[in-house]
Amino acid sequence: MAARPRLGVFKLASCDGCQLTLLDLEDELLAIAAAVDIVHFPEASSDMDPHGRFDLTLVEGSVSTPAQLDELRAIRAQSRTLVAIGACATAGGVQALRNFADHREYVRAVYATPAYIETLAQVTPIAAHVRVDFELRGCPIDKGQLLELISATLVGRRPDIADESVCMACKRAGQVCVTVAHGQPCLGPVTHAGCGALCPRFSRGCFGCYGPRERANTEALADHMQAEGVSAASLVRRFRLFTGWSEAFRAESERHDD
Amino acid sequence: MSARLTHDGFRRLLEQVREAGYALVGPTISDGAIVYGPIAGADDLPIGWTDEQAPGRYRLRERGDRAHFGYVLGPQGPRRQLTPPVETLVRIRLGPRREQGPRTPEGVEAADEDGEPLALIGLRACELAAMAVQDAVWTGGPFVDPRYARRRERALIIAVDCLEPGELCFCVSTNTGPGVEAGASFDLRLTELGEEFLVEVGSERGQALIDGLGELAEPSTAQLFAARTQGVLAAAMELHGRERQLDLDGLPELLFANLDHPRWDELAARCLSCGSCTLVCPTCFCHRVEERAPLDAPTSERVRHWDSCFTDEHSRIHGAQFRPQIRERYRQWMTHKLGAWVSQFGTSGCVGCGRCIAWCPVGIDITEEVAAIRAAPVAPDDAEPVALPPATTVPALAGDPMHPQLARVVSVREELREVVTLAVEPVGVFSHAPGQFNMLGLPDVGEVPISISGQAGGELLHTIRAVGAASRALVALEAGDRLTLRGPFGSAWPLAELRGHNVVVIAGGLGLAPLRGALREMVAHPERYPSVRLLYGARSPEELLFADEILSWDRSIRFAPTTAPAVLESGHVKVHVTVDGAAPGWTGHVGVVTKLMRRKPLSAHARYLVCGPEIMIRFVLRELETIGVAQDQVWLSMERNMKCAVGMCGRCQYGPHFICKDGPVFRWDAIAGLLGREGF
Ligand SMILES: Cc1cc2nc3c(=O)[nH]c(=O)nc-3n(C[C@H](O)[C@H](O)[C@H](O)COP(=O)(O)OP(=O)(O)OC[C@H]3O[C@@H](n4cnc5c(N)ncnc54)[C@H](O)[C@@H]3O)c2cc1C
Ligand code: SF4
Ligand code: SF4
Ligand code: SF4
Ligand code: FES
Repeated sequence: MAARPRLGVFKLASCDGCQLTLLDLEDELLAIAAAVDIVHFPEASSDMDPHGRFDLTLVEGSVSTPAQLDELRAIRAQSRTLVAIGACATAGGVQALRNFADHREYVRAVYATPAYIETLAQVTPIAAHVRVDFELRGCPIDKGQLLELISATLVGRRPDIADESVCMACKRAGQVCVTVAHGQPCLGPVTHAGCGALCPRFSRGCFGCYGPRERANTEALADHMQAEGVSAASLVRRFRLFTGWSEAFRAESERHDD
Repeated sequence: MSARLTHDGFRRLLEQVREAGYALVGPTISDGAIVYGPIAGADDLPIGWTDEQAPGRYRLRERGDRAHFGYVLGPQGPRRQLTPPVETLVRIRLGPRREQGPRTPEGVEAADEDGEPLALIGLRACELAAMAVQDAVWTGGPFVDPRYARRRERALIIAVDCLEPGELCFCVSTNTGPGVEAGASFDLRLTELGEEFLVEVGSERGQALIDGLGELAEPSTAQLFAARTQGVLAAAMELHGRERQLDLDGLPELLFANLDHPRWDELAARCLSCGSCTLVCPTCFCHRVEERAPLDAPTSERVRHWDSCFTDEHSRIHGAQFRPQIRERYRQWMTHKLGAWVSQFGTSGCVGCGRCIAWCPVGIDITEEVAAIRAAPVAPDDAEPVALPPATTVPALAGDPMHPQLARVVSVREELREVVTLAVEPVGVFSHAPGQFNMLGLPDVGEVPISISGQAGGELLHTIRAVGAASRALVALEAGDRLTLRGPFGSAWPLAELRGHNVVVIAGGLGLAPLRGALREMVAHPERYPSVRLLYGARSPEELLFADEILSWDRSIRFAPTTAPAVLESGHVKVHVTVDGAAPGWTGHVGVVTKLMRRKPLSAHARYLVCGPEIMIRFVLRELETIGVAQDQVWLSMERNMKCAVGMCGRCQYGPHFICKDGPVFRWDAIAGLLGREGF
């Protein structure tokens, strides 16, 4: 019997929420554990082995400190397939909002001894530093998608995770469009699907947790929202959330921020 | 046959339908809209409510009466029930996990569950028209989707006339409403007139329902008929007088002649490429097919999902994305819906329902966009041909075209690095013509189109390059393994037409594989094909496919590496080989295949077969044009993303053609207008 594939789970600057999604897979966790050796999983056990090679590595969190950058490079060197999971790892996360301001001021305001706090000038997603084989979006990630990602990667299939708008999922679910029927602003048309149109299902516009989809025409959407009465300040807030540091959303929020 | 029903009679009618075993589907209020979905009975209808619609806007309003069908249309019609947004096609039993390579299939089961038949209540004239369009897509042949066919055949249809058309309706322009015509496909047709319904019977099933109502079904009256006629006429007149019209006259020609109109760029600045229009449109049918196999599951499912030409994957193949820009995606939607549709299905794809206008989050109005192009066409007199016959028509497959058979790999031959030929033994009699392809797949991984590169006895040969997930898994198969196979699909090289002619075959790289079957036939029959020349180009000497076999066709050529070939003495075959980059020991030509074409004088009267990367094909055609070869002497093979291979998933569209069933082999003139054009 060949060695079983090794699954590594690592975290950088993040809240652990995405890793918890893995634990949240309760029913399926046994099947995963039967199929792979879970080698490094700080959230689940203290018995970790950060050395050796990983067939599939899931990395949560963004890069905020020089130490994290070093760690990330080491992880990459040991990984066959490296997947960035969650908004922090794929777009910087909420902590990347400090990039829009002078972060030294934050550090001074928050910490008693700011000299101990060593930070990089900007919080960045993983792909800014190392090659990433797949980005699993979301804040937090969706457990169904995580399961599909693991199952697919283990057999060498492309995960059935399409880079398409939230509208596609919303319409497949038979959800009534909140923009058209209720006049609510919604980032669904420019946001990567994956949540199953969760907010529209609760009659709320999409907040863009999964970050921009390919060809996100944020400008057309923002122009339309503005024509419908959404203020520039509100547009900035909408595009500057969990994935505000992604290129498309950042450019859009900057367009309205003066 | 007709009758008159009161509200009570109508309520009883629905009860009866339910008692007869139908699942009721009708309009009901949910989330601030009138949606089409499961209902329990007449009480669930939006009694006393109507909808107000504008581009990108929809609101409910109380009418102040008890109208049952006093609204127009909700966001989605019965397309949802007849072709569910997510549907399992087949279940494939998985073999055990293996040390290396994917799990292989052990059995295939149909997944269609026959639920209760549907009673589709309250369908408008435009929705019946849309259903007729969907019928053409899924059952119009040569292939029939049994899932759709079965649901459609069992469905009971209770249609309703429109007497109060909505703000966005333009069914008069598309000739699909507002009244439900007597010949349309319904079991019962209702006309709501005040507190009463006039009911017209359209089938025996419908008659039985009316008979079952006994006294509740009163005789219809001349007044009611007159009121209906008047109401429908008034509605039609009103629609006629509106500004929003869609002039269908010569529209396919107009659109295809204006592929470079500046309006597409303007549109791209507004369109979000969200895909909403395609998913609310009652006639769109595009979908993708994915494999679903949880880690420890004993079966894998092949699942169909609604897709749209506004997504990235729709037009992506390995190494190429044909519609990266929003302008190209919107243009695909409109040129298909209002243009190519006509040649594909004999009817426009628009039934004038206005849904795409209402449910576009930024209110883009298809009628306005058409009007803008019509008002200022950029190339009015230069319409490109849109409707052209396919290169070869192929016989249909019986049964479910999505249900694969399990074929056995008999042998695996390594051709080049990462390229193997699988000799596959299908179940039962399998006849194909060179140029056709199969869908080969593995559960857990998925299915991809692969040309048949020859036949040896009962074995079909497939020459595959490992480029991505599915092809890699196929290349990793071993003798004795099983795989899923559907086919053969598509058009073939025109071997019969080539008889008696001098034939020149021009191939690049792996493009030789789809041509090998045709070449073998021509090599074996000098009496039919007096002169055959093969011009073959590969990247390097190591990338020459079928080198031994090629050498055996023409003794006079020499290139390294040579092995002693079996020699064919007829001498009617000439082979010229070139490589892009020279290597030590290589004594043959160096340079791209077009350079070789210039070195070897080619006849303007020969027949040409071309296959290879699209860019190479285009350069070859340019070369043929300069030597004066007519377009009707040239055939070529095309590639696009494919999921179904039977003209149903919409992915392989190439202007008016489906490459899977009208192609992949096309005569040059059939696609000349589109070749090399961005966005197709
Ligand atoms: C009519 C036809 C005949 C073909 N014949 C051969 C052949 O004889 N030998 C051979 O090696 N290849 C052939 N191809 C190409 C082959 O189908 C692709 O290489 C294969 O689909 C790649 O799938 P993948 O999962 O390995 O790659 P990925 O890049 O992971 O593909 C992902 C998905 O994209 C789609 N896709 C990607 N490339 C293509 C493509 N070129 N055509 C259609 N869909 C694609 C498939 O749906 C696939 O599942 C043919 C293609 C067509 C259309
Ligand atoms: S194109 Fe628009 S108006 Fe025409 S049938 Fe489709 S959704 Fe209705
Ligand atoms: S290609 Fe045609 S059928 Fe498919 S989504 Fe686009 S318009 Fe609809
Ligand atoms: S036309 Fe409207 S609904 Fe269609 S993709 Fe563009 S923005 Fe979306
Ligand atoms: S329409 Fe599905 S592959 Fe052609």
